Amino acid sequence: MRAWLPPLMLATLLCGLSAGMSVLEPLYEWVQPDKQQVIYERESFLSLLQNHILLVLISACIGTLVAVAGGIFATRPSGRDFLPLVSQIASIGQTFPPVAVLALAVPVLGFGEAPILLALILYGLLPILRNTLAGLQGVDATVKQAALGMGMSPLRVLLQVELPLAGRVIVAGIRTSVTINIATAAIGSTIGARTLGDPVVAGLVNGNTAYVLQGAILIGLLALTVDSLFEAAESRASAI
Amino acid sequence: MSSTWSTSDLSPPNRVVSVLALSALVLVWVLNLGTILPNRIVPGTGHGLLSAIGWPGAMLVTAALSGCLLIALLPLRFRYVSLLILVSASLATLPLLLEVFAARHLPENSPYARSSIGSGFWCLLFFLSLMLIEIFGRLGSGRGLQLIVVAVICGSWVWLFQGDGLESLSLVREFNARPDKFEQALWTHLALALGAVTISAGLAFVLALQMIRSVAWRRPVLSVVSFLQTIPSLAVFGLLIAPLSALVEAYPVLQALGIRGIGWAPAMLALVAYSLLPMVRNTYVALTEVPESLADAGRGMGMNERQLFFRLKLPLALPVIVEGVRITTIQAIGLTAVAALIGAGGFGSFIFQGLGQAAMDLVLLGALPTIALALLADALLSMLAASLRPTPATA
Repeated sequence: MRAWLPPLMLATLLCGLSAGMSVLEPLYEWVQPDKQQVIYERESFLSLLQNHILLVLISACIGTLVAVAGGIFATRPSGRDFLPLVSQIASIGQTFPPVAVLALAVPVLGFGEAPILLALILYGLLPILRNTLAGLQGVDATVKQAALGMGMSPLRVLLQVELPLAGRVIVAGIRTSVTINIATAAIGSTIGARTLGDPVVAGLVNGNTAYVLQGAILIGLLALTVDSLFEAAESRASAI
Repeated sequence: MSSTWSTSDLSPPNRVVSVLALSALVLVWVLNLGTILPNRIVPGTGHGLLSAIGWPGAMLVTAALSGCLLIALLPLRFRYVSLLILVSASLATLPLLLEVFAARHLPENSPYARSSIGSGFWCLLFFLSLMLIEIFGRLGSGRGLQLIVVAVICGSWVWLFQGDGLESLSLVREFNARPDKFEQALWTHLALALGAVTISAGLAFVLALQMIRSVAWRRPVLSVVSFLQTIPSLAVFGLLIAPLSALVEAYPVLQALGIRGIGWAPAMLALVAYSLLPMVRNTYVALTEVPESLADAGRGMGMNERQLFFRLKLPLALPVIVEGVRITTIQAIGLTAVAALIGAGGFGSFIFQGLGQAAMDLVLLGALPTIALALLADALLSMLAASLRPTPATA
């Protein structure tokens, strides 16, 4: 139970600050004394937070499904031919900077949420794919032999032996992917997504450091909350 | 090289190349190859393969892709050698499609009209590159051959883009409008990214040595650097503005050094902070994983601790340290593009300017060189790491 305390506290802080940012008004007035308005009010922080989480969550779910399916396909006998190419794509793709991927999505798909979602899915896929391949290939061949020898069908070997053994590595890939996507979604506000990056970008454009600070604090808190959630889940899994 | 040829004798059909060639064939016929725009901002009219380059061109593209499909499936000798020649020739001559497209469709008397690259062309480029990667893998070719083929393709692209035929391409127009700014962005980008990598490499080396010397440093250092890595870049850039502005206000001497709340100073600080995790982790792991038996052997030969470190541990650890430098450099090149948001310059400034003006080709002018820099850094540093790897004496 103790493992869940940090994410719980961080999440409470995140939601509390999103709902009542004006608590810190003296701080922002000190940072930005020459401005009339120091609290970002174009949109409520809660709805920005909600949208940010939604973008990351959808892209993580779709990305995980596609990447794990792709990883399983490439490690089966029928998909073996594709294994070298798939693992090359996973490693070369990760050298592409996320900002550049985000920027490239605009000429192809236009402004708005759709191109960001697609860019997040495609880019977030790569670390999960790479780890799925590593996890499944890391399962000892003798273990698989033993399972087959016990009379398990290949599907049951996959579901009850290979995936559980590779699970930890796959989850580590999902964690990397989600961390990157929280950061990339924040930058997505420059191409028209409504995320917690909005106050930062608006503040940079208007020269209002208080806005920048509000966005930055919430983005940082969101990243820490999610990261500590993964941390807690991993420590629980290893305790079992 | 002789061993590479023998593998291609009557090898089984390749499903990967055939799937890729077929997908490319379908997409290049379905999607727009290019667009003609009346000026910089207005969206233009798209042209499919047939309308863009006419029957002869469309047939040539179809023939090349069907050729790949057939060579991949038919029982042939030298399957991969012929595929390599066909695919690299197609890649090298790809810009010619845009040249023909511009020559056929660009109106004569409107100086603002320009041609733009369509999704069909990008798909063709993407699938041909994937085919090239697959062929390299199947040939089991060394880095030498890969380097020559890539150099030939890049050389051909540079040569074609310097000619007059692609002058109307909007990407080229955007570049020609600001060659000085482009060069300046390149140097700023490189200076920021490489500066951050160099500083963090030095810092990481000191930290790693300290961690090896005293156990008490290990956990705190690792948790601080991984904490830094978790915070999104936009937040770090934003959070640094206020304290740096306050510092400059308190110590005006800093302002004389060019340090301000926005600009290169917070960008550099954030980049160094981000670079620490991969650097520290790899340096520490590399130095601690030198087998103790080797160190004992060195001691037995009469080496003192200093000689042991510089002659034995460091050379053995170097490939893993360089791997850390590779990851860090790629990451820093990408993050420098984000740093343009706080006025640090570099290619990111083209990206965000282009997004602000809805000028898509300016976005490309920033995004494509950023990707190219990352790929180049990846290639160079993986080659360096491979060349540093010790070769077994028994071989």
